[in-house]
Amino acid sequence: MTRKSRRLWLVVACMIGLGSAAALTLNAFSSNIVFFMAPSQVHSKPPPADRTIRLGGMVVAGSVRQEKVKDAPVAIFDVTDGQAAVTVRYEGILPDLFREGQSVVAVGTVNPDGTFRASEVLAKHDETYMPKEVAEELRRSGKWDPRFGKAPDAASWNTMTAADNAKKPATQTP
Amino acid sequence: MNATQSLTARTGNLFHRYANPGRFLRMGAKLQPWLTWPALVLSVAGIVWGLFFSPADWQQGDSVRIMYVHVPTAWLASSGYMGLAVCSLLSLVWRHPLADLAAVEIGPVGAAITAVCLATGSLWGKPMWGTWWVWDARLTSVLVLFFLYLGHIALIRAFDEPQRGYRAAAILGLAGAVDLPIIKFSVQWWNTLHQPDSITVTGAPTMSTSMLWPLGLTTLGFTLGFAAIVLARLRASVMESRVRTILAANRGRQSAAPQPDRATP
Amino acid sequence: MTHLPYIVAAYGLTLGVAAILSVNATLRLRQARKRLAAIEQPRTRQPS
Repeated sequence: MTRKSRRLWLVVACMIGLGSAAALTLNAFSSNIVFFMAPSQVHSKPPPADRTIRLGGMVVAGSVRQEKVKDAPVAIFDVTDGQAAVTVRYEGILPDLFREGQSVVAVGTVNPDGTFRASEVLAKHDETYMPKEVAEELRRSGKWDPRFGKAPDAASWNTMTAADNAKKPATQTP
Repeated sequence: MNATQSLTARTGNLFHRYANPGRFLRMGAKLQPWLTWPALVLSVAGIVWGLFFSPADWQQGDSVRIMYVHVPTAWLASSGYMGLAVCSLLSLVWRHPLADLAAVEIGPVGAAITAVCLATGSLWGKPMWGTWWVWDARLTSVLVLFFLYLGHIALIRAFDEPQRGYRAAAILGLAGAVDLPIIKFSVQWWNTLHQPDSITVTGAPTMSTSMLWPLGLTTLGFTLGFAAIVLARLRASVMESRVRTILAANRGRQSAAPQPDRATP
Repeated sequence: MTHLPYIVAAYGLTLGVAAILSVNATLRLRQARKRLAAIEQPRTRQPS
């Protein structure tokens, strides 16, 4: 065995050791690395009232109510992960991306009655990138409602952009 | 063992062919324009396309245009570190002199690109998520990558004897490579504020082709640009070390010269 | 455009850093080449 291959095996062994150590550590701390808790987790294991947590999930369609308390905007909405829902109350200005069906992360505490008092609301957008016109077209044709779930596969609407642009003048002129 | 022995030897030979500084400088000079000009053309085309001709996103509006600079820098931050790790391996196992010089030059460029990635991400996060920064797994692991770059830059220059710096920095470079899969899979392993990847090796992209094109152009352009800048710095570094060697040799000859000179007449 | 300041800042920053890196690399390469040429010429003449 030459010195070179001995060094190579040494490096490989060290990398395997380091890699598994990192994997084990990350696995052990996995619950601390997750950025937010889901509503079902909050239901099954309610955190103590004084502990600030992040609650993540989808805004339930039709649940958003905007009120004004002493000139301050207050938003009340339900956040769900499909299994359970938590009602969130937030005083402040919601981010631009906030809408029904959007994923959000709310920072705050759980009240004794099970509702959530948020001090901050962050919008979490998904990985679908779609031109505005295509989204409107999909909504108009009833193929997809952003309030109820994820956008359909990109392959199904990718060709729409060019085809619709070609169709549009023809349908608009008459 | 016999097979691995010849394999390591053969790999070493392959890389050592390019260790000759004269040959590297000739090849580098030839390669440089093929990196520089396509990088410029593709980057400019991608940026103009992304800024003015690509559609606005259905939920993000025009802010989506930040993607065309953020995503390429994010990809380069990781792949640049991958290059650093490969140089570290070549340095540790094969004692390749050019790999050490390359590691010195990749460090600052990679750190700058990672800083740009973090800053553009922040500028994108503020209007979209509603925050400049969160400590989720993706953002934190990229910040760790930035610190790894900074540590490598400091370590490789920390010793009076360069060889010791190369050795120490190579160990850091290889150990830090553990962060790369964490960055890649952070959005799948843990729930994060950062969205999952739109473009994956296995699945179809969840992105409109009208946005995919400018993104592809800037990614290719920035990658070639990264390579062009690293190559230019590496060529300069090889020339500088050659100048140092010649100066040292001249000094040695001058101090040694008087004796034979006196003997000859 | 919506959120124009953020977009301009992101592109400006990227292009600024790219410009700094490229100019720095170009100048360094040019200087190294000049220095090497100045030092190599007298040496190649000497042996003849």
